[in-house]
Amino acid sequence: MDAFSSSPSSGSPSQQFSADDFKDQLKNQFAQAYAEEFLETIRGKCFEKCITKPGSSLSGGESSCISRCVDRYIEATGIISKSLFSAPR
Amino acid sequence: MDPSQFQSNELAQFIAQEKERAMVNEMVAKLTNVCWDKCITGTPGSKFSSSESSCLSNCARRYMDLSVIIMKRFQNMQ
Repeated sequence: MDAFSSSPSSGSPSQQFSADDFKDQLKNQFAQAYAEEFLETIRGKCFEKCITKPGSSLSGGESSCISRCVDRYIEATGIISKSLFSAPR
Repeated sequence: MDPSQFQSNELAQFIAQEKERAMVNEMVAKLTNVCWDKCITGTPGSKFSSSESSCLSNCARRYMDLSVIIMKRFQNMQ
């Protein structure tokens, strides 16, 4: 997708692509890239923790481990973020 | 897009802000990755034990301390 192309819903083709549109699109793309990377990390970590011996299907134990793992990893991100950016020591 | 729509250094400022934001996000992501491996040794539970959560916050801070020491040491070698 071209970062500089207007969305089809913005109306007539001669409508100007504004500075704000550019900023919004750039921010969205950063957010999207970050989200994808975050998801990929979680996939890796939780596969490692929860699927020790891949079977012919996911067991109930493996499924609940995965759910817990995702919640914990997101929580860990919050803990790390807070410890870096709030009152030190 | 007409570049003159941007005030003189508005674009440069905006990009610098987004770059800093991205760098902060990357640091948090990297630290969470590393500290997860160090601190969450068993199967994830339905909540963190208090030792797991203090390990995580200690981990992040000690990593920053380490970063400062390495920088200083490196500078002393110049």
